[in-house]
Amino acid sequence: MTILDISKISKRFGGLQAVDQISFSVAEGEVVGLIGPNGSGKSTTLSLIMGVVRPDTGSIKFQGHEIAGHATHAIAKRGMAMVFQHSRPLHRQTVLENIKLALLPDTIFQLFTGRQIEEQARNAARRVGLEDVLDQRPDSLPFADLRRLELAKALAADPAILLLDEPFAGLAPSETREFSELIVSMRDAGQAIVLVDHNVKAVSGLVDRIVAMDAGQKIAEGTPEQVTSDEKVREVYFGKSLDTVEKTRERKHRVGEHRLLDVNIESVHYGRAEALRNIQLHVEEGEFVSVVGLNGSGKTTLFNSLLGFVAYQGDIQWDGQSLRGKKPADIATGGIALCPETRELFTHMSVLENLELGGHALDNADRRAQVDRIFELFPRLRERAKQSAFTLSGGEQQMLTIGRALMQKPRLLLLDEPTLGLAPLVIENISDALDKLQQDSGLTVLLAEQNLTFAVQHSNRIYLIETGSLQWNGAADRFSEEVGADIL
Amino acid sequence: MNLIIEILISTFIIGAIYALGAAGLTIIFGVSGILNLAHGAIVVVASLVAWYCALQLNMGIYLGGLVGIAAAILTTYVLYFTVVIPLSRSRQLASEELPVFLFVSTLLFALILQGLLEWFFGATPVSTPAMIDGVVHIAGVTVPLNSLLIGVVAWAVIGALWLFISHTRMGKAMLAASMSPKGLAIVGYDIGRIHFLVWGLYGLLAGIAGVLLASFIGASSNVAINLTATSFTIVVLGGLGNVLGSLAAAYILGFLGTVTAFLISPSLREVPGLLLLIVVLYARPQGLFGRH
Amino acid sequence: MNRTWFDWRTGVVVLAFAATACLPWFVSGYWLGVLTISSYVAVYAMAWDLLFGYGGEVNFGPTFLIGLGAYGAGMSNTFLGWPVWVSIPVGTLAAVIGGLALVGPALRLKGPYFGLVTLVAVLLLSQVINMFAGYTGGEIGLALRDILTISSTGNFYYAFGLMTITALVLRILVRSPLGLILEASGQDTTATEALGFSVTKFKILAFVISAFFSGLAGAMTVFYFGTASPGTVVAVAVTIQIIIATIIGGRRSIIGSILGAVFLIVAGEFLRPVGQLSSTLVAVLALLVLVFAPNGFISVFGARRERKA
Repeated sequence: MTILDISKISKRFGGLQAVDQISFSVAEGEVVGLIGPNGSGKSTTLSLIMGVVRPDTGSIKFQGHEIAGHATHAIAKRGMAMVFQHSRPLHRQTVLENIKLALLPDTIFQLFTGRQIEEQARNAARRVGLEDVLDQRPDSLPFADLRRLELAKALAADPAILLLDEPFAGLAPSETREFSELIVSMRDAGQAIVLVDHNVKAVSGLVDRIVAMDAGQKIAEGTPEQVTSDEKVREVYFGKSLDTVEKTRERKHRVGEHRLLDVNIESVHYGRAEALRNIQLHVEEGEFVSVVGLNGSGKTTLFNSLLGFVAYQGDIQWDGQSLRGKKPADIATGGIALCPETRELFTHMSVLENLELGGHALDNADRRAQVDRIFELFPRLRERAKQSAFTLSGGEQQMLTIGRALMQKPRLLLLDEPTLGLAPLVIENISDALDKLQQDSGLTVLLAEQNLTFAVQHSNRIYLIETGSLQWNGAADRFSEEVGADIL
Repeated sequence: MNLIIEILISTFIIGAIYALGAAGLTIIFGVSGILNLAHGAIVVVASLVAWYCALQLNMGIYLGGLVGIAAAILTTYVLYFTVVIPLSRSRQLASEELPVFLFVSTLLFALILQGLLEWFFGATPVSTPAMIDGVVHIAGVTVPLNSLLIGVVAWAVIGALWLFISHTRMGKAMLAASMSPKGLAIVGYDIGRIHFLVWGLYGLLAGIAGVLLASFIGASSNVAINLTATSFTIVVLGGLGNVLGSLAAAYILGFLGTVTAFLISPSLREVPGLLLLIVVLYARPQGLFGRH
Repeated sequence: MNRTWFDWRTGVVVLAFAATACLPWFVSGYWLGVLTISSYVAVYAMAWDLLFGYGGEVNFGPTFLIGLGAYGAGMSNTFLGWPVWVSIPVGTLAAVIGGLALVGPALRLKGPYFGLVTLVAVLLLSQVINMFAGYTGGEIGLALRDILTISSTGNFYYAFGLMTITALVLRILVRSPLGLILEASGQDTTATEALGFSVTKFKILAFVISAFFSGLAGAMTVFYFGTASPGTVVAVAVTIQIIIATIIGGRRSIIGSILGAVFLIVAGEFLRPVGQLSSTLVAVLALLVLVFAPNGFISVFGARRERKA
């Protein structure tokens, strides 16, 4: 029997159609995975179901009742529970008290809790494996246990359906396994679940059915096998199929013998979540190296560590010198230019002003010459020189980001997801520009990409990163046969 | 008819001083996200030090004014190094509590300044002598030349500020810091240094506003909190961090205040602004000219 | 840690309250006066902490509520000729209505923006008091017809009694399921809604309770002084005093608010010989605590310290 029936819900935020006519349903005891790359609208869809965000149009029927547009607490009381990706427990209360909170009645006339609530809370704790830490405070728990606590709160009141937003985010591989087992045990107990994740591999063993989203729309639905082999899904995730990559781009540049970058990171932590562990990676002068992996696998964290934005255990050597403890500004001045995934453009300044700020350290003649070079590389930017950066299209903004980085005359260019959200034609433009750069000036590049096609086309060597650790590395032409289809 | 002219002239001058005072506050908010409640007190520091140096120490109004501005910059840096930096780096505070603590600490800092000012200079309002004597007649209304000069100077400073921000590399870097601090760091700017300079610029603007205020209507330690409230109203109405919005809001507020002062009672000058603020916060929390 | 009703800390607190109640036999009327004021400020601080510490509301207008209570009571005594025991409830009611008026913006606006609204509310209230100086006494203050009592011992017990009752009520409240829900909704409104709680209801409750105690204490304060003046119940300086008392004592701690208030007032008395600068020195002290020990005195005892997440 269907307990949740979603039909053509849509949500627009300003100019962005975040969710576009999404429909799917969940049967009793069924586990449905909602997948898609970052920004595909899957988390927003979950928020729409829970009533955290109100849908513009469409209908959501929960156990036969229309709930679209209802208040969150009213929906919760009908038997829906959600585990948020970022949620904070009450730090001064014990684990047991935190779980009890979820069981309290919604009334202001209560000064004491009953025995029954206590018993229910203990049960919920047992179900997720927290029974030994009931009297501890959340502060003293490891990160995985905090996630369990959130799960216990959601499960405590025996919801008819459970919504999980990225349950594996920030977990180490062993913890991910334990958590998966937990979800499987919930499934075996007949719990209906909607699970959102960007990592298809992580969810395919847990779910009965997958709904895949991209740019707010549903692009596929079916069993895990059907969806992972779906051409469209693979293209959304990795660009064109690997088999069809035409090896037209020749790598003519010479790889030097000089080791420019030598990374040896033991770990990076965000609070108690471990984002990276045991990353060993090096880049020779003149090389084009890629780090590939899904969103959330740690690529951006790696780049932030290189630039000194996050603290890490271990060491990073740049041109024979340690970067430990250096400020981002000094690292940038030392010859590393970053094109961040978020672009970080100066949005209300013109294209030219953005470029000039990138080349602020050059003398005037040098800066003008460099601006000209970048305009030659990206003629579109010359046409838009006087426009504010926020009026540019996504592709033009990406060109400007690369252009601003090149204004620093870097020895190493770090590119973080330069193809994200861009049309194939624009990606082609950027590809051409990168080729030209390497041929003309032998620029060294370290690329972080989810788009495998793009990465394989350009790179000499590739590192594969999954949930914070390196899984494979080798020459780019071996990637397809050795890793190939396994990745999704 | 005369009344209208009078109101317009008064609005021109008051609006210019308001705008000057609020410009610094907006820039600070844009770059560092801090709502500085010590603003009025820092403005008054400049007023009173300028008055003291000019009249008590016989330095003359110009030198006195310069010392007043220097005092405002110095006070700003004391605030920056003893409150803003330690709190921002405190490991005992959860990050979501930081704005509240900065809010309270800057208010406390204002209170300390106010106490010190009152102890040192007394609570009686003081004004510095006119920079130039004489009056002009505009459409039948007599206006002191000094008042006009103050309006012109305030506008000249705002113009200079605009030139600095839109035409010098340092100014552009400061503006860029309000759009993307990370973007600025990755092209090689030291964000700490940018913040240091922005606070200095803020002190300079607050100082100039204070010196002009002392010459226009005078100041005392008691007006600090009202100055803060007015500047805040302007900054919030204009949309936090939006410099042009602040300029427009300064004039709206200057006009409303002047009309109220002329037509109803000078003691109610601030009331329409506060009412407008409440209405705007209810209906359009991002401010009249907010971007989001 | 297992929290029971009577651990050793509770014992110490009960003993301290009992000892304080015996003070009129040992100390002078002057110090009783100091403690009377401390008690009222402690009530302001506890009421404020309910909103800020537990409810997560950045309320910079505690004196808006206190002032409504004070002037509501004062004016009904002076102009309507109502006796003290009617005027105090009238003032308290005025404060509760004021508290309800703040719920709307509190639900709509976030953090500093709501703080700004409350600050504006205080400034408006003081403008209104100045505007209708004929009824309110303006800057100078409003002289009341009656006072609570002329006995300093009597006044001390009124204030100390109010403080004790407030502390008890709030302690029961914050440790009850209600307190749990209130704290959760202050920390993360969305997540609390998703657990099935209509947060609005609990916010209204918090504002009403906070306004009730603020208004009651404000009303009693003016009947202690015999006058209602902006300087004692409305000024931003009073707000600062309340906030400092709460923070240096320790947020989210009933006893911390009391300790902070007593410390602040008593320190002010000790510094009185310094003259004009005494309140400034207290402010400096408070700023030091705020910047370098933001969790206050109470973090020195007990495991209440919280770390950056």
